[in-house]
Amino acid sequence: MAFAERAIDALADARLRGALDRVTGALGSRRESAFASLDHAEIVRDAARAARLTAIEDLAGHLERFEARLMANGARVHWAETPDAANRIVADIAERAGVRRAVKSKSMVSEETHLNAALERAGVVAVETDLGEYIVQLANDRPSHIIAPIIHLTRQDVGRVMERQLAVPYTDDTRELAAIARQRLRQEFLRADMGITGANFGVVETGTICLVTNEGNGRMVTTMPRVHVVFMGIEKLIPTLADLDRCLKVLARSATGQKLTVYTTLVNGPRKPGERDGPEELHVVLLDNGRSRMRGGETAEILGCIRCGACLNVCPVYRTIGGHAYGDIYPGPVGAVVTPGLRGLEPFRELPGASSLCGACRDVCPVRLDIPRMLLALRDRVEREAPTSRALGRAMKMFAWVASRPVLYRRGAALVRWSLRRLSSNGWITRAPGPAAPWTKYRDLKAPGPRTFQEQWKAWRSQSSQSSQSSQRSQRSQR
Amino acid sequence: MSEARTAILRRLREGQRTGRMPAIPRAQVPEPSPQTADELAGRFSGELAALGVELHVEASADAVRTRVKTIVGEQRVFSWDAAFLPYDLGSVPMNFIFGTASRDEQAGAEIGLTGCDAAIAETGTLALLAGTGRPRAASLLPPVHLAVVRRGDLRFGMGEYFRDRADAIAQASSCMMITGPSRTADIELTLTLGVHGPGKVIVVIGP
Repeated sequence: MAFAERAIDALADARLRGALDRVTGALGSRRESAFASLDHAEIVRDAARAARLTAIEDLAGHLERFEARLMANGARVHWAETPDAANRIVADIAERAGVRRAVKSKSMVSEETHLNAALERAGVVAVETDLGEYIVQLANDRPSHIIAPIIHLTRQDVGRVMERQLAVPYTDDTRELAAIARQRLRQEFLRADMGITGANFGVVETGTICLVTNEGNGRMVTTMPRVHVVFMGIEKLIPTLADLDRCLKVLARSATGQKLTVYTTLVNGPRKPGERDGPEELHVVLLDNGRSRMRGGETAEILGCIRCGACLNVCPVYRTIGGHAYGDIYPGPVGAVVTPGLRGLEPFRELPGASSLCGACRDVCPVRLDIPRMLLALRDRVEREAPTSRALGRAMKMFAWVASRPVLYRRGAALVRWSLRRLSSNGWITRAPGPAAPWTKYRDLKAPGPRTFQEQWKAWRSQSSQSSQSSQRSQRSQR
Repeated sequence: MSEARTAILRRLREGQRTGRMPAIPRAQVPEPSPQTADELAGRFSGELAALGVELHVEASADAVRTRVKTIVGEQRVFSWDAAFLPYDLGSVPMNFIFGTASRDEQAGAEIGLTGCDAAIAETGTLALLAGTGRPRAASLLPPVHLAVVRRGDLRFGMGEYFRDRADAIAQASSCMMITGPSRTADIELTLTLGVHGPGKVIVVIGP
C-alpha cells in the first residue's frame, strides 16, 4: 500500500487522531517546560550537536577506537553489514551459549532487522520487556511512536489484548495492567539466559554502552541474564563521558520532558571476578544497514539523530496521520529522512513529501538537525531519478521561462488573476477545474485581491516618496 | 578482522570525502557556580521531593543507624555487603541477605539496602558502581530501595561526577544512575510507578 493510501486510512480513524492530539500535545508541552529548567540550554544543545557531529564526521576512526576500548574491557565486538548478518550473529551467540530464552529492552535497531522472528526460527524465545513494546508483541502489532510505542492504543485495547493473550480477567485500570505485566515479566527476567538491548550512546573514550529506561527493564536485562548482547547502529557514538553528560541533558527533556530518565545505565564490560550478578559475556553487534552509504550523501547529518522523538510531536503531518502511515520502523520527520536512507529511496519516494517544510522539527531537535534541508535534498533526488510527470516538468520549465521575463510575467499573472476571480464566489474558490480539482477537494482557496502585490508596492512607493519629499521641504523651511 | 568490518570502514572513509556534513559548532558550556554543602543538599532534597522520593536527613551516624533500623523493621533486607555500607550499618541487627543468596531469595526480599558512589543534586540522582560486595540486584529486585548517602558524596551535576570519579567509573563493570522510582507512562500517558524496578525509593542522608 502506498503512503497516500495509508495516510487516508489513518485520517479516517477518528480515535487515532484524538489519541495523537492528546499525546503529542502533552509531550510537546512537557518538553518545553523541561528545557526551561536547564541552565544555558542553547549552549548545551550546541555541545550535544558538536558531540554527535564530531563522532559522525570521522565515524570510521571513532568506531576503531570504540572497538579497541570495548575489547580491552572484555567485550566481544561483531560487525554486520546487513540485517540478516546481524541476526545470524545473535543466533550464533545464542547457540554457542545454549540460550533458550532471551529478554529484550527496547531496541529500534532490532526492529530494523526483525530480530525476534529470526531468533524464534533459531529456537530462542525473545520477550520484549518495555511495557509498550510487550503489548505490541502480545498484540502482534507495530510500534507507532519512537518513545510512546502504543500511542495508537487505548487502555481498553490493552486490557483486551492482555485478557486474550495472557488469560487474565479483563481490566482497563492502568495500574492493574502494569502490575500484570510486572509479574509476568519478572518471571522472564529471572529465567532468561540472554539479555538483548539497544544502545542510546556508545562512549568512545571509555568503551561504554549507555542505556536509558524509565521502567527499569534496561537494568533487569543487563543484570539478570548471563549473556548480554548490545545491538546498535554504527552511528550511535559520542567521543567522551563529558559529551554523554550534555547528550543526556537534552535527551530525556526532548523525549518525555524529564530532567533525566529514571535509570541511566553505563555498561563497561562483563562482570568482574568476585561480582555476584551482571552478565558473564558481553557482545556488541555493530550494524551498518545503509548507514555507511548515508555518510557519503546529502543526508549524512541525520546520522546525528539521538532518537528522542521530539520532531514527531511537533510535526503537523505526524500529528495528523500517526506513525504507521510512514510504512517502516522510524516515523515522523526523522523517519522521512532515515527510512529512504536505510531502505533505499525508490520504495519510499513519497516519504520526503510527507512534510509541510514548516521547520518545527528543526526548531525542536535537541541537536539541531536540519531535517527540512535533507527532505528537500531527497525530493530533488526523487525528481531527478524519476520525474513525477513529464507534463509537470515541462510546465515548471515554462513557468521559469516566463517568470524571468517581467513583461510576460505581469501579463500572465493578470490572466491567472482574472480567471481565478471568475471561478470564485463570495471571495472563495471552492471547486477548481481539471488537474487542479484535487487541491480544492479538502480546502478552499481565497480569491486573489483586486490589486497585485506589485501594483500595491508601486503605489506605496510613490506615496512614500512624495511624503518624504514634503517632509524634507518642511524641515528646510523651518531652518 | 571480519570482511564486514573492512567494508563498513572503507565505505565510511569514502563517504567522508563525498558526504555533506554541516560545520561543527564550537560550544563552551559554562561551569556551574560553586555551591556550598548546604546548597547542594537543598537542591538534592528539592529534586527528590519532586520525584516522590522519601527523604530523611540525619545529623549523626547513630541517628542514621536508628533511622535505617526503623524503616527496615522486620522486613527481609537484600543488602550490599556490610563492608560497603556507610555508617557501619552492617552492625545493625537486621534480617539480612546478600549477593551470595540464591536468586529466589533475592527476589523475595522486601527492601534493598545500598550505599552509593555519589549523589547528584541537580537531578536528584543516586550513582552506584557495580563491584564485589555491591550486587546490582539490591537496588533493582526489591519493591523498595533504601539508599544511604554521605553528605560528602553530593556533587552538583553529572558532569562533575564524571570528572571527579572518571577512573572509578571506567574501572567498574557498570555504573547505575537512579533518578526516582521506576515508572512508565506507556498506556495513555498515565503515570504508573514500580513497573520493573522499585516503586518506592527512600534516601537517608547522614553527616
